[in-house]
Order: sequence, then C-alpha cells, then structure tokens
Amino acid sequence: MNADQAAKNIVGALKSARVDFVATLPDLKIVEVIRAIDEDAALKHVPLCREEEGVGICAGAYLTGKRPALLMQNAGLLNSCNALTTTCLQFQIPVLLLVYYAGDFGDRGFATVGSVTEPVLNALGLRTYVLRKPEEVEGTICGAQVLAEDSRRPVAVLLTRSVVGAD
Amino acid sequence: MQRYDYLKAIAGDVGDALVVAAGWAAREWQALRPGDGNFRPRTLGLASSISLGIALGLPRRKVIAIDGDGAFLMNLCGVPTIAWQNPPNLIHLLFDNQCYEASGASVTATVSGADAVALVKGAGYKHACWVNNPEDFRREFLAAMKRGALSFIAAKVEPGQPKLPPIRSDELENKYRFIRYIEETEKKSILGPSDHRPK
Repeated sequence: MNADQAAKNIVGALKSARVDFVATLPDLKIVEVIRAIDEDAALKHVPLCREEEGVGICAGAYLTGKRPALLMQNAGLLNSCNALTTTCLQFQIPVLLLVYYAGDFGDRGFATVGSVTEPVLNALGLRTYVLRKPEEVEGTICGAQVLAEDSRRPVAVLLTRSVVGAD
Repeated sequence: MQRYDYLKAIAGDVGDALVVAAGWAAREWQALRPGDGNFRPRTLGLASSISLGIALGLPRRKVIAIDGDGAFLMNLCGVPTIAWQNPPNLIHLLFDNQCYEASGASVTATVSGADAVALVKGAGYKHACWVNNPEDFRREFLAAMKRGALSFIAAKVEPGQPKLPPIRSDELENKYRFIRYIEETEKKSILGPSDHRPK
C-alpha cells in the first residue's frame, strides 16, 4: 500500500466513524493523509500551528455537536498533555487522537519520542490502540471513535509506518 | 479601570452570544451575564482556541472569547490559526493587566512592550484595535457585533476585581449546561437521548 492508498484508507475510516472535523499538524509520514483530509468536502480541516491548541479547537467543536479528531505526530501528543488533561479529561470531552508513531520499531530518527509515547498515554489514562495492519484501519478507527464517545474521553490510535504507506 | 468595568459596559449588548472566559474573568462575566451560554475553560491559553472550535461548529452564532495577557501569550501560536480560519462570527477580547494576576501577579511580557494588537494584526487579523476606556470599548464592541468579521479589541486594565459570588458549578455541570443551552437555542441534538449512544 503506497502513501496515497494509505491516506484514502484512513480518510475512508474517519468518514465511516462519522468524524467530521479534523485538526492537523504534519509529519512527513502523514502528509498524504492530511492532503486527503483537506481535499474532502465532508471533513472540516483546521491546520494547526501547535498541537495543544488543536485540543482546544476540537473540544470547542465537540461542544457544538461535531465529531472531532486530532491528527499529529507523537511529539505533538507530548505538546498536548496539559490540554488533554485539563480540557478533555477534566470536562470529559472525547477527541479521537490519531498519532503517527514516530520512533516505533523500524522507524529512524525519533527513538526517544517513541520510547515515551505509550508510557505517557498510559499515565494520562488514555486507551490506546496501535495500528499495524492496513486492513485493520477502518475497524480500529471506528471502534476507537465509539469508545471515545462512550467513555467521554480521548482515545488514541497510533499509526505506524505500515498503515501510512511508509514501508 | 478594571476588566470588570469594561465587561460591564457590554454585558447588555451580547444577546445570545456564546462566551468563553477562564479564570477570574469567568467569574466576572458570570456575575454580569448569568446563564448557561458561558463556557469556562480550565487550561490557561485555550479560551481562544475553544472559541474557534465553537465558532466553526456554529457559524451563524456569535462567539466571544475573553482572554487575558498571560493566556494570550501562552497560546500565541493559536492566533495565526484563528486568523487562517477567519471565522466571521468570532469576537476576541483581550484585557491586558500586564501580570499573571491569578497566579500571584508576576508580570508578563506585555510589561516590556509586547503589543497584542500588533501581534494579532501580524498574524492576519484584519480588525484589531486598542481602546482606552469602557465607552470606547463598547462602541468598538458594537461595531464588531455588526461587522460580521473576525474582530479583536484590547484594553489595558488595572488588576483586581470587585467582590463577587463564586461560581457554583464544576466543569462537568458547566459542560452539560452549555451543551444543553446550545441544543435548545440552536434546535439541534448534540448529546442525543443518551450522550454515549450514536444517534
């Protein structure tokens, strides 16, 4: 699966999950996904300058009835920890977190960020699903969105190289 | 003049606008315009970003963000994002008391000259101005309400506030009442009959 097909796969899954609002900040590996989101008229796309503001934007959108997702690299997840805690957890606001898992095994250059990603999500008490197979993208994203709404908390889906077409 | 004096000047002019204010400003606003259309964030800096999300979600509803200088500076990177989205229904207010008042009144960078209006203009806001008194503030606010374009109004204020009753609702009550208020006034279902069941 190349990056373009992977992007279609992920965007299709977001729409199946009835996500309609996506805030993004790029990583090289998710550029095609962001492009596909931007080109899809059914998804409101908000490009960010820093990920933590995206938590606030998604939370505000949720309050009005949108189903928001935040797409970013895991360094951005680290940038977002206070907002995830004091906005999403404190107010019980669900936001689907789609996190490119830089520094996962087989990925070069971000081993330090990779090593703290799952421990930080665990510390925040956020349920986390690691996506390694393209054929599981739709089911996992739909399931994570249901879980986010049902638990009224963010749920994290970690996107590895294979599901963004980087392998 | 304190922030309260400025807020008091516009409290009767906001109609059914949704208002997002954190910290001490939230208590002042709740005293001046009681009701469920006020959302009170607990993350320093995020009032403006949460307001953007609300404004994008309800493009025909006026949304007012009330910022302080400490919050504004903490989430400065959110300002170009707001300008980029350019929501016509968002009015962004800033009360600059030049300190982190609720955190012990240490000074902020605005004390050395960081100029919020220059910053938002640089980020792409087309309508942004300083005002010097509550009368001018009200005039600019009314103009912004009529304008139908993203607007920013800032005022230098003295720290302090009058003695006000505490806010009684916690974050969850605030969230649910805010959402129910939107459901009622926008005639739409947000949470549905049970907020964890897809419609």
